Amino acid sequence: MEERYVKRFSASERLAHWLHFLAFTVLLGTGGFLYMPALQPFTVGTAGEAARLAHRVAAVVFIACPLIYLIGDPKGFFYSLREAFSWGAEDVQWLRLAWCYYTRGAKCAGIPPQGKYNAGQKLNVLTQIVAFILFTVTGLIMWFGHGVVSPALFRWAVIIHDLSVTAVLVLFLLHLYLVAIHPFTRESIMAMFEGVVTREYAQEHHARWYEEMKAGGEAG
Amino acid sequence: MGKVAMLIDTSKCTGCRGCQVACKEWNDLPATTTTNWGSYENPPDLSASTWTRISFHEVADDRGVRWLFFKEGCLHCTEAACVEVCPTAALQYHEMGFVSLDEDRCNGCGYCVEFCPFQIPRLEINPLTGQGKAYKCTLCQDRVTNDLIPACAKTCPANAIQFGDREAMVTMAQKRVEELKAIGYTNAVVYGDKELGGLGRIYVLMERPSVYGLPENPQVPALTRLWQKGIQPFGYAAVGLTLLGLGFNWVVQRRVARAAEAEEEG
Repeated sequence: MEERYVKRFSASERLAHWLHFLAFTVLLGTGGFLYMPALQPFTVGTAGEAARLAHRVAAVVFIACPLIYLIGDPKGFFYSLREAFSWGAEDVQWLRLAWCYYTRGAKCAGIPPQGKYNAGQKLNVLTQIVAFILFTVTGLIMWFGHGVVSPALFRWAVIIHDLSVTAVLVLFLLHLYLVAIHPFTRESIMAMFEGVVTREYAQEHHARWYEEMKAGGEAG
Repeated sequence: MGKVAMLIDTSKCTGCRGCQVACKEWNDLPATTTTNWGSYENPPDLSASTWTRISFHEVADDRGVRWLFFKEGCLHCTEAACVEVCPTAALQYHEMGFVSLDEDRCNGCGYCVEFCPFQIPRLEINPLTGQGKAYKCTLCQDRVTNDLIPACAKTCPANAIQFGDREAMVTMAQKRVEELKAIGYTNAVVYGDKELGGLGRIYVLMERPSVYGLPENPQVPALTRLWQKGIQPFGYAAVGLTLLGLGFNWVVQRRVARAAEAEEEG
């Protein structure tokens, strides 16, 4: 008899993900004060200095997350990276049908079978990678750049850092909705807690990945 | 209360640096130990504990070699980039026409340092933790709001530093420049009467502003207002539209599911 669950995420991947989540929420909270005039008291004086310190501590964790994934599970790391960067006609087709997929679910005709990550998840990963690089570079400029880099470069760093927040925040809300609220996909959250999804879920939402796994026994 | 301004007449300055000392005295700022770097100019730069300083400039032309003195410090812009970017409102426009600084509010982010078109504010922070604050000349805000003139103006033995009603200071500067031109200093110019909406610090300069290291045409950096007036509303709009979209998706998928259920039952 077939097992009821299939393995989806390794322990390292899950650890990196949850540390990333923790660091991200702290960074969003302590940085977000600057966005919300109502929370301005948290930016002022001693409270503001504490917020800036917390932002830096969280930043170190944030930057370490991909390394934890890479060191703990190199095979999975490179598999995911390869997947995110391989795009074909079926990804475009998926994006075209994304609204139908998230409103009609299985009844939506013509959804091409997806790999471990569907085209939307790939877009998320790619944006996260770009944002991660932008956050890290501009953050380090603001952290260590006073008196080192030109004021013009520093100013651009502030602006790019803030624009990256907007991009990542939108994706974060979307991600939260799909894994915690949306009835078609919310059961997938167990993959991030226990590392597995049900066989039916894998078949329905990631058919190509499921076939690969069955054929080779192992697919990331 | 009308706008006030400080007038600095560089043609009268003798480079005695009494203003530097008076500033430290009044604001209770520690002296810094410096080493001889081949100039009488000292200390070599503004710092968190040096809010004003005389810079020395040698000019060689057909008049021979001249030694020009220039009092550095916050220029108290009417359109101040530092006020616009300060996320804590530690820096504010004072109704009397200067840029006030509330040290207790400052969290040391240093945006003011990087956006100031004159590169005046100085940070004193731990480079690793970022803890600390930014400092600059406050035009002696505690004195001038209590009917006293700034400490540097009070002490200046050459009367090169005047303080009072802004209009009167501009008129005085213009008159002085005319006098200087009449005795052959044809490059003499008023600086600060119109720059950046009018500065709270007006200079009578003997030479072009760039000779003293001043920008000829200072501008608020282009990115200054982008943050509060561009990215912030954009961020709100992006998040708002996302939430709307997600809510819409929820409603639509629910209606589809209900319709399917009804069909099965029916």
